[in-house]
Amino acid sequence: MSYLELNIDLTDEQNAIKIQAHKFAAEILRPAGLELDKISDPEDVIKSTVYWSAMKKAYELGYHNTLMPDSYGGLGLDPLDIHLVFEELGWGSADLALSIGVACFPAFFASMLPNDILEQNIIYPYCQNTDATFVGCWAITEPNHGTDQLCPKTEVFHDPSIKGQLRARLDGDQWVINGQKSAWVSNGPVATHALAYLSLDPAMGLAGGGICIIPLNASGVSKGRALNKMGQRALPQGEIYFDDVRVPHDYMLVDQESYETMVDLTLATANAAMGAVFTGAARAAYEEALKYSKERIQGGKALFEHQIIKHKLFNMFMKIEAARALSRAAMIYNYNNTPPSIQYSIASKVFCTNTAFEVSNEALQMFGGYGLSKEYTIEKIFRDTRAALIEDGVNDSLMLIGAHSL
Amino acid sequence: MPVFETTQKMYEVLGNLFKHLANHPDSGPKFREAGIDIHFSITDPEGDIWLTRAGDVICGKLDLKATVEMSLSGDSCHQFWMKELSLPIALAKGKIKAKGPMGKILKLLPILKPAYEAYPDIARNHGIGVS
Ligand SMILES: Cc1cc2nc3c(=O)[nH]c(=O)nc-3n(C[C@H](O)[C@H](O)[C@H](O)COP(=O)(O)OP(=O)(O)OC[C@H]3O[C@@H](n4cnc5c(N)ncnc54)[C@H](O)[C@@H]3O)c2cc1C
Repeated sequence: MSYLELNIDLTDEQNAIKIQAHKFAAEILRPAGLELDKISDPEDVIKSTVYWSAMKKAYELGYHNTLMPDSYGGLGLDPLDIHLVFEELGWGSADLALSIGVACFPAFFASMLPNDILEQNIIYPYCQNTDATFVGCWAITEPNHGTDQLCPKTEVFHDPSIKGQLRARLDGDQWVINGQKSAWVSNGPVATHALAYLSLDPAMGLAGGGICIIPLNASGVSKGRALNKMGQRALPQGEIYFDDVRVPHDYMLVDQESYETMVDLTLATANAAMGAVFTGAARAAYEEALKYSKERIQGGKALFEHQIIKHKLFNMFMKIEAARALSRAAMIYNYNNTPPSIQYSIASKVFCTNTAFEVSNEALQMFGGYGLSKEYTIEKIFRDTRAALIEDGVNDSLMLIGAHSL
Repeated sequence: MPVFETTQKMYEVLGNLFKHLANHPDSGPKFREAGIDIHFSITDPEGDIWLTRAGDVICGKLDLKATVEMSLSGDSCHQFWMKELSLPIALAKGKIKAKGPMGKILKLLPILKPAYEAYPDIARNHGIGVS
């Protein structure tokens, strides 16, 4: 189902982008997400042809290149176009939307700091990939450091007693990397390349970090089992271990001099995308509820005809419109301004994921007992949106980080 | 003392640099295809340099809405083209502010390559000390 487009300046091309993304979300992502969600062992998700067919289709259509500049073969989209795409993918299946979205992280960051080696080994091969054999992940959180890793510009980030669990040291013209990342790395189990945020100078605390691309077929890399979790089950997640892993000098994109700024920029970019994806997930929940409310008869008439239900549906509708307005504005501003204003991306992430969870909770309630049944899509959306309150930063903690910029 | 002692000097050096880029056999056509108007808003010395989508280099004020606007000092400009100032460090130190769709800015980076290569000679030819 579509929605009334309030932006009267949307061009024909932007409308076409939205329609195409919706078609892909409805025909590929929604059914694949529902099927993958039912698989009990997440190790089977990553072996499943359903997962790989969905990813391959996304790559074939170029959705893995949503953030990539067109000079390298990316889609070269403007910020509003990016929002249109991410909202639709999130509407289809938030977990798969995120698997596709995070796949570009190594190549996207390499495109900010291009050199010949990165262009040849990372950027072009990623952009030109059409069969999902080049998949990236963002490896930042660690078993002992979740929120800690995501709080640039706070005191915690500079506390020398807090030391990262993934270290890199220079040996000649190579970096040698040891340690591990958390079980929460999205795409961890399926990724071919990691954009790793690691410690270079522990005396500076977590601020003494660097950002490095690590090919995950390098000697010394191993992975944990795919994580079994409550929501977003189609998004493979898992630990990555590094034991004397060597990468070329040029793969370290950022060192401690600018690490904190780049964490800020990363969080601002990722949180803005989360706002768009979960506006879509909220809309998906609302649409399920609206449809059901017109079918289910209680008290001799459709649920929709009962005033309290209408009131609830209108409340959902208002929240989603507000989520779209905020998340579009935050993305357009922050993808147009470098450095970004992180508080707006955080506001978007927190507001939109809260909205998605509140709307899916209300929607599930409207389904009565059936809402708890795995037969109904709303049950999955509810669990997916619950995970979003923790993903990319716990909402409460993100608000404190955002507040530093007020 | 700023690297570019006067606005005029800065216009000569950077103007030449961008003309070199616009006329480059590989990057020139790519830049024109990109359809981007870049405005460098420079402080210390004060100045404005435009590289328009047609490949024209204009030094001074222009009544045009830029696709990408870079605000930075003359010294940061010099360091940037000398490859002494990477984008993340420039951002970290608040030396560069960029306005314009991220995709368009990223698109520019590979096109700028010949400018990095040409800059030290151009600067030297205009009497700017280059180590
Ligand atoms: C679906 C999903 C996808 C994810 N994807 C990725 C990924 O791609 N890459 C990656 O690296 N990580 C990823 N993560 C990890 C995610 O970023 C972390 O889970 C999150 O940042 C929180 O860290 P934590 O789980 O260690 O919780 P903790 O940091 O241990 O927090 C536990 C609780 O304590 C609170 N808390 C923490 N610090 C403070 C404080 N200073 N003051 C007050 N309260 C505090 C938090 O708000 C939270 O409620 C993902 C997580 C999820 C759920």
